[in-house]
Amino acid sequence: MNQVELGKNNLGYYNCDKKIIYMVQQINFGNTPADREKAFMMLYKKAFPAVAKYVSKMGGSFDEAKDVFQDALVIFYEKTVNTPMVLHTGEQAYLLGIAKHLWSKRFREIILHSPGDIQADFIEEDELQFSQNKLMHYLETAGQKCMEILKAFYYDNLKLPAIAGRFGYVSERSATVQKYKCMEKVRETIKQQSLAYEDFVE
Amino acid sequence: MRTSLNEIKLIDEHLFNQGDTGDKLLFNAMLIIDNGLADKIGLQKKTHAIIRQYSRKKLKAEIEAVHHKLFNEAGHRTFRQKIMSFFSKQ
Repeated sequence: MNQVELGKNNLGYYNCDKKIIYMVQQINFGNTPADREKAFMMLYKKAFPAVAKYVSKMGGSFDEAKDVFQDALVIFYEKTVNTPMVLHTGEQAYLLGIAKHLWSKRFREIILHSPGDIQADFIEEDELQFSQNKLMHYLETAGQKCMEILKAFYYDNLKLPAIAGRFGYVSERSATVQKYKCMEKVRETIKQQSLAYEDFVE
Repeated sequence: MRTSLNEIKLIDEHLFNQGDTGDKLLFNAMLIIDNGLADKIGLQKKTHAIIRQYSRKKLKAEIEAVHHKLFNEAGHRTFRQKIMSFFSKQ
């Protein structure tokens, strides 16, 4: 049985006076989108019911529960892949904690922002958003392979052998060189885009 | 690795606070000598922000696909009913 099938890797038990005090767990998201799908499926089944119940109790809708839970999953993923995180409470309680925090933050923002404030923010962000969307669209299409390599290195924090294998590089060295070539290419695209935006606003 | 790629590597190490004391001193010296280096650091920082934005978008799409399976495929009916029961009482 591998770790992905389990969805998590139990690192050990702390035993005191024949009673288990807590279990130390570490979730494993694996190296591929298929591995992640299994892990997210497990987390959804395990933790979404508690979050949905909480949001419903607070007067929220199904869509709001879904939004809050999915944002909590993103935060959980980023924390897990960037720092080897040891949970003392189990991922269900951890995700519920993040979701509760996101829910109260969302609620506070609705109260604090009058409709006038929101409209002013939108107008200021409009032009910048247009420029960013154009850039993102370009990177998603013309620069997709590079973006996937950079995502694997910097966001998913995958190890070099896994990246070399996944993208078909003969050595870890070739994968590293490709990472920097991609960084150069994307950086140049952003530079050109920024210059074009400056021309546009001046 | 060619010079421009090495420079990207050094900027990355600077941004992520990696490398030993000698590397850091050398990089600080380069910052004084090379007038364009500060701009390149800013641009590389921006690139990392764009990579994070792109990656989050992709991750959210993967999570949404899992949600779609759970709330549309016949095999997950019990789970679906359990979730919907919380909202039918409202």
